Amino acid sequence: MFSGPLETPRLSFGEKLIAFNWVFIVLITTLVCVGAAALYSVAGGSLDPWAETHVIRYCLGLGLLFMVALTDIKLWMRLAYPVYLVALLMLIAVPILGVGSGGAQRWLQLGSFTFQPAELMKVALVLALARYYEWLPPKHMSNPLALIAPATMIGIPVALVVMQPDLGTAVLFAAVGGGLLFLAGASWIYFVFGIAGIMGAIPFIWHSLHDYQKARVMTFIDPDKDPLGAGYHILQSKIALGSGGVTGKGYMQGTQSQLNFLPEKHTDFIFTMFAEEMGFVGSLSLLAVYLLVLLAIIFMALRCQNQFARLVTAGVGITMFVYVFINVAMVMGLVPVVGVPLPLVSYGGTSMITLMFGFGLVLNAHVHRKTKFRPYETGII
Amino acid sequence: MAESEHHKRQKRRFTRRVLMLGAGQLGLFGVLGWRLRQLQVVEAPKYTLLAEENRINIQLLAPSRGLIFDRFGKPVATNTDSMRVFIVPELSKNIRDSLDRLGRVISIPGKVRARVLRLASRQSPYVPIVVDDTLSWRQFAQVNVLAPSLPGVQTDILSVRRYHDGNDMAHIVGYVGAANKVEVNEHPVTRLPGFRVGKSGVERGFEPKLRGKAGVIKLEVDAHGHAVRKLETLDSQHGRELVLTIDKEIQTKAMERLKDERRAAIVALDARTGEIIAMASTPSYDPNAIIDGLKEGAWENMANAEDDPFTNKAIRGQYPPGSTFKMVTALAGLEDEAIDLKTKFRCYGGYSYSNAYFGCWRRGGHGAVDVRRAIKQSCDVFFYNVAQRIGITKLSAMGHKLGLGQTYEFGLPLQKPGVMPTPGWKRATLGKPWYGGETIIAGIGQGFVLTTPLQLAVMTARIATGREVMPRIVRPYPDEKIEEAKPLDIKPEHLAIVREGMWAVVNEGGGTAGRARIPIAGVQMSGKTGTSQVNSASSGRSSRGLKWEQRDHGLFVGFAPADNPRYAVAAIVEHGGSGSGAASPVVRDIMTALIERDPVSKPTYVARDAYRQTAEDKRRGGKS
Repeated sequence: MFSGPLETPRLSFGEKLIAFNWVFIVLITTLVCVGAAALYSVAGGSLDPWAETHVIRYCLGLGLLFMVALTDIKLWMRLAYPVYLVALLMLIAVPILGVGSGGAQRWLQLGSFTFQPAELMKVALVLALARYYEWLPPKHMSNPLALIAPATMIGIPVALVVMQPDLGTAVLFAAVGGGLLFLAGASWIYFVFGIAGIMGAIPFIWHSLHDYQKARVMTFIDPDKDPLGAGYHILQSKIALGSGGVTGKGYMQGTQSQLNFLPEKHTDFIFTMFAEEMGFVGSLSLLAVYLLVLLAIIFMALRCQNQFARLVTAGVGITMFVYVFINVAMVMGLVPVVGVPLPLVSYGGTSMITLMFGFGLVLNAHVHRKTKFRPYETGII
Repeated sequence: MAESEHHKRQKRRFTRRVLMLGAGQLGLFGVLGWRLRQLQVVEAPKYTLLAEENRINIQLLAPSRGLIFDRFGKPVATNTDSMRVFIVPELSKNIRDSLDRLGRVISIPGKVRARVLRLASRQSPYVPIVVDDTLSWRQFAQVNVLAPSLPGVQTDILSVRRYHDGNDMAHIVGYVGAANKVEVNEHPVTRLPGFRVGKSGVERGFEPKLRGKAGVIKLEVDAHGHAVRKLETLDSQHGRELVLTIDKEIQTKAMERLKDERRAAIVALDARTGEIIAMASTPSYDPNAIIDGLKEGAWENMANAEDDPFTNKAIRGQYPPGSTFKMVTALAGLEDEAIDLKTKFRCYGGYSYSNAYFGCWRRGGHGAVDVRRAIKQSCDVFFYNVAQRIGITKLSAMGHKLGLGQTYEFGLPLQKPGVMPTPGWKRATLGKPWYGGETIIAGIGQGFVLTTPLQLAVMTARIATGREVMPRIVRPYPDEKIEEAKPLDIKPEHLAIVREGMWAVVNEGGGTAGRARIPIAGVQMSGKTGTSQVNSASSGRSSRGLKWEQRDHGLFVGFAPADNPRYAVAAIVEHGGSGSGAASPVVRDIMTALIERDPVSKPTYVARDAYRQTAEDKRRGGKS
């Protein structure tokens, strides 16, 4: 007979709450508290202007998370393609209608508030790819033709953000897209060829980079060469980090950060400031919390019974990982300076909302982990 | 069955791969941890040395901004020192006590004291709090002498920009302000507190020259940020001095002359070199007020004030040139051989074209006029005929040749280009086809034609000298070769005809600007009036009884001496009523002042740093 029932019961609100992953909420709240404390310290011991807003934004984000998590997963199945399409259209609209700041055009103006379509695309891409592989019958997995659609889905947004130009986000899209293809089961061969292709393309990419982007890469390779120009940030960041030592200088006692050697202390360089004050022990603990969050996501992904839920969960996990890795590696001089925030700790409304939306989807998948879709629910569109 | 088998395999493969990915992530986290350990454990002593106990503090030394002078060396923008005293709570054992002691040297009002204490209780103790930023030298010296007994009290000197005769020079020199988000990324030096970059005028246009190069000082400092000793210094290089082509005396006179007008502008050029001797725009503002910091709302008040004091109308005001454009039409006609010296058109007071009727300003008509008399008496009908014969494209091309419809790259930012219309331009901007009637009114500088006062001055200088004069605002450095402008691609005899007409405008009976004659024996000015219609309701030409906003603009362009052109001047008085009434006396007075003073014949000031700096630049490989 068939394995398992085709019918999956609709969950009541109470059942959903029981199935909820409360440990996960505790973990991300911990991160936000760390962020608020660090922002309090950055402001020189003041809730103003960052710490308080940070917490308020998180609370709003939590509202969004629960809203997303407790709706029916089928709703998100249905919305996956439309959301992706909207994100794509807005991304196309950016160069036409967008407003620029600092040499790059990334923002769209909607009424009185501006936002970055690239942020929405981060979630939309995950949804759309997961939706595609839920539909794709497993036996066609190895068919090369089945790769055309997802490759297009990834390729167009990557090309669009490269043109903005926003290399950091392009890398993120590519990593998330590639990661999901891998998890969905695409053949190893594609990845071998893909990586070889990227290696071969590097010289051409280098040529098309903007001067400020080239400067960042050169600085990364040899920061000491230009200690007062572009290398200044990395060097100052390393001095602040290193001088923190094993136990740190103590909360609100970080001389380097407090004395204004560091740029963007409340956003991209907040890890430096935290590590200076809390030392090796503190920063390793923070990394451990991030690791726990990532492990929790993988754990949730493994328990999902359908491909859509699995891939959504894992996709958000990869996004989170790329953020954390690039940010922390950047402030330690392991990768070039790209403007990527530290999730839930850095100050910034847009990335907070994106992440909380993503986490909402993860928990939605977790709550509905036993759901199985009937064939007509997973039609091509 | 097979389907379910597939799903099972799919799940197994997902599990396998997600675990691999997880392992990969764990590995990369391992790399982060390893790097963290390397920085914070293994190399911690090195960085601690760098940072804390004997931290090498790399400080940027802000270069002092280049001074700006007028052509005779009178100061336009200089730097003064603002001496500040501030207190760092962390270093002061008892902040009240420190304030008490400081209070014996400088007076500290109760309000300031309260503010300092409030900030001290709120901020991080490392953040310095400014107590006073207007110390005298005497107080500054006293505070420094007593510093050892004033724990936590520190002083510094901040360079502040000052503008001399700010109100007269504001539109030329502009002002400086804190770097904005984009500018901050150019160089770390722009992040220094108190560092200023040019925001408008010459200050903005010549920012790279004025800024200079930041110096570096490597200090060994202790845990409290006190310098222990200096390790290495690379002196900052002050910005280059700038000598403007402006003669401040003439500039002040021009501003003075315009002060009774609501909105007006005047530009005076050296007709041969294009050097701008004066460029006045009224109303104006005081850039020092911006430097000192406007209170909240004051900025908006200024920006939204009636008559736009912030707008330099000489380069940003776009006006229909009216009859001052007739030289362009005449030259276009002559060059196209559509007319010659003898061609006459009969003026009955108007001109019919398809269904429309275009009037001449003199209702009774001028009779048969040739080109010389058409300029002298500003006969509209003559130029309607010429425009009709040559067409809009050739007319616009001549405007371009004479410097209209374009901005000039000489360092003054935010110029407006005006409009030299063509059918293509109209299609691109308005999406409509070109109508023949629009060519006809373009012939007398109305309709779509727009020019700025600076463009009109350049046009006049080009007609006067026959050379492709380009405007300049800054005197060349001694080693800079300025090539003489090349001759215009216009036949000299055609230019002579037009100049002849312009001479008659002022100096012959029956010309439209008899009152523009210069009251100096032996010197004559040639010129052309212009009265440009603001709206069709005012076409009656009589401005009496009309509201200010409805009156016509008055324009005048002129050059002198007529036989050997030295200066070219253009003026507009917005809603002045007429060119002969409102603008020509202004030009006459400024031209008179120019001739009497004759600034271009006198030796100019040479920047003190001109030679040294140039040598320095060469040594550094010409990098800037």
